[in-house]
Parts: sequence; C-alpha cells; structure tokens
Amino acid sequence: MSSYKVRDWVIVGLFGALWGVVETTLGTYLNVIFPSFTNTFFKGVILGGIGVAVALTGRFFVRKRGSVLLIGVITALLKMLSPAGSRIGPIAAIIMQSVLMELVLSLAGDPQRWAFLLGGALAVGWNFPHKFIMMRIMYGRTIVQVYQKLTQDGSQMLGIDPSLALLILAVLLGVRLLAGGIAGWSAWALGGAVAERLGQRGQLAAQ
Amino acid sequence: MRRFSAWGYLAFTVWGLGMATTVGGWRLGALAVAELAFGLAWSREGLGPLRRLRFWLLMAAAVALGPWLAGIHGIPGINGVPGRSGLTGAGHQVSWVGLSLGLEMAGRAMTLMLAFSLGLSCLSMSDLVAIFDGISCIPGISSLPSLNLRGLGLALGVATNMLTTLQTMARVTFETIKLRGGLRRPLVALRLFLVTLVSNTLRYGDQLVDAASVRAFDPQQGRARRVPLRRDDLWLVAAMAAFSVGVFLL
Repeated sequence: MSSYKVRDWVIVGLFGALWGVVETTLGTYLNVIFPSFTNTFFKGVILGGIGVAVALTGRFFVRKRGSVLLIGVITALLKMLSPAGSRIGPIAAIIMQSVLMELVLSLAGDPQRWAFLLGGALAVGWNFPHKFIMMRIMYGRTIVQVYQKLTQDGSQMLGIDPSLALLILAVLLGVRLLAGGIAGWSAWALGGAVAERLGQRGQLAAQ
Repeated sequence: MRRFSAWGYLAFTVWGLGMATTVGGWRLGALAVAELAFGLAWSREGLGPLRRLRFWLLMAAAVALGPWLAGIHGIPGINGVPGRSGLTGAGHQVSWVGLSLGLEMAGRAMTLMLAFSLGLSCLSMSDLVAIFDGISCIPGISSLPSLNLRGLGLALGVATNMLTTLQTMARVTFETIKLRGGLRRPLVALRLFLVTLVSNTLRYGDQLVDAASVRAFDPQQGRARRVPLRRDDLWLVAAMAAFSVGVFLL
C-alpha cells in the first residue's frame, strides 16, 4: 500500500462511503420490504449488485492492487460504526465480496472488462454460499437444513416443484451470477463514461 | 465506563466470536451471562441490540423454528434422543429436543451478536485509525509495503466525514432529474444519475486532495498514533483465558 498516494486513499474513502450510503439508506428500505427473517434473496441481489458496482467503479479510478479490498474494508468499518450496525452477516458479506473482486482483478493484472464482469459475478454469487456459512456459524444449522430451506423458499418464489431441488438452486445461483456480471459490466461502462466526461481517460491509462 | 484500551475491546470481540462458534449447550448460556456482565460493567452502548424489537423477533423466530425443524426434517436429537418425539400440531410433529436445538440456535446467535457489539461499540474512529497505525508499525509488518495501512486512517476519516455530503448529493441529483422529467425515461435517468453522482464524488475527492497538498500532508509521514496496552487489558485477557479453560474443563 506504500505506492498509494493521497488521491488514491481519498478516492478509496469516497467510494467506501458511497457503498456505505447504499448499505445504510437502500439497505434500510429493503429491510422494511424484506425483513431479515423472511426470504433475503432479492435484498441480497439488489444490495450486492449495487455495492459491487460502486466498488468496481472505484477500482476503475484507483488502478492499484488492493483498492477494491480497501473500499470493502472502509464500507465494513462504516457499517460497524453506524448506530444500526455491528451486525456480523452484512459485514462478513461485504468483506468476502471485496476479497473475491480483488482476487479476480489482481489475477487479471491490468483492469479489463472481463475481469470486472467476472469479479462482479463472483462477488454477488457469494450471497449463495454466504447463507450456508452464516446459518452454520450463527445458528449451528447443518448444510442439509439450509439446503432444504433454500429449496422450499426457491420453490415458492419460482413456482417450481420442490423435487427439482438442483434446478431451483441452479436458478438461484445463476440469477445472482447474472446480476453480479451486469453490475461489473455496468461499473466498467460507468467508469468509462465518467472518465470521458472528466477527460481522465489518458491519465488512467498511464497509471 | 470505558476501562480497557482499544486492544482490550478488540480482544474481547475476537474471544467472544471464537467461543460462540466453538461451544454449545449450557456453555453458551455461561458465555451469554459473561458477555452481559461485561456489557453492564464496561460497555453499556454495546447492549443496544438488546433494546431493539427486531433482535428479539429474530431470537424468538430461532427458538420457535427449532421444534418444527426437528419435527419436519427429522433432525437427529441431542445425545442420540430422536428428534421426532413430542407433541403433534398443525399436521407436523413437534419435539422437545427440537426446542432445545432452537434455544441453542438462538443462544449462539445472541452470543455472537453481543460479542461483536460489546467490543466494537466502544471503539471510536480514532481508535481504529490508531489500530491501523499500530499494525503498520509492528516491526515485521512495517517492512512489507503491501501491508502498510497507514493511509487507511485517512480513507476512513474521509468516508466518515463525507457520508452525509454524499447522501445529500445523491438526493439532490435524484430530485433534479425527477423535476426535469427524467423519470419518464428510466434508463436514461439512471445513467444520468450515476454519471453525475460519480463525477461529483471525484470532484469532491480532488478538492480534498488539493486541501491536503496545500498542507503538505502525507499519510505515510509523521508520527503514527499508538494505542498503548493497559494493565487492565492484561487482566481482561487473563479472565477470558480462565473462563475458557473453566468452561472447557467442566
């Protein structure tokens, strides 16, 4: 991180705050619409998709290793410090999503559209195993129990027979991956549009 | 009353999370009592979740779900006692073993939430900045450039101070687009909203960088803030260790 300049840290902070704004404002509305003890599929996809798009847009302007992870850390800290915060689930999800995005972007080297798309897809797709892991840690439920609950909820939501459990789970995961991919692609497009408007294309390419 | 340093509260959170995920049964109850005692003595703000209706709804849902889960899915009971023994209601079998499973689920969730909130609610932003500075100054870590987190304090400060500004900016942008009839074409409106939001965010960023440059500010230079360990932190760690050993031995 010693290669980071003041501008990089400031932008990391600002995009962390933007993700934090999404989590606190939109998250509150969505919590009212989908309470936490009901099905959290839509909430996860919407919040995850927008958050991932914000973080990846930040990465477009700070083209250095670790920037997405740092944006995620800032968001998690904001969430932790907020009066309604100190909730393990969302904080763990934010950190894991940023780790996954960072992993893909670091492996890809130079920022590229496919890396944004893949990173976004994996990050929002994380919501799927996240449920299994958090239910295991928080409530001690077994994978089979969470699997049955997910299948029942998915069957009601999609109108598919519960016996087609694998299809239901594949659809639930697929929708998340698709939403994440769209978020990543949108972040790349948004970053490009803003850079063009601000005349920063050349500067960013030189970074 | 704040008695420990940031390291003490951080250690309590890590210990509480570790214990809550590893112990079960009556030990969870003992952990919950220990956490409540800690909260009443040294972290009153951390007991905030207990004052929220949503917290108790979540706990009640976990307890209530237990008997049904065991009844419906035939979860093996505790110590070999089958999960399907008990009452019958609404077409499903309800079991007492399931109820104890539900109580354990709720207990684990409660101890995890308390561990998280009791320790971290006592940490201020400056504590967190000092912790990052402290981690970056540890001899082994300070030599690794990839783990130098000294700028993270600046980023966190920027984020905290700009949170309200960004919220206001997002609302003003949205209202402007709405008043000019932009919502008739939702996709165009969304694009305009996002481009304006990100452009303005970057503009604010440039202003902050200018302000920092004028003051010749560099997060890597200057003296790092440190959080010294207190004697009470060591007592807390000793108490946590003694509690853990006692709980595992009994």
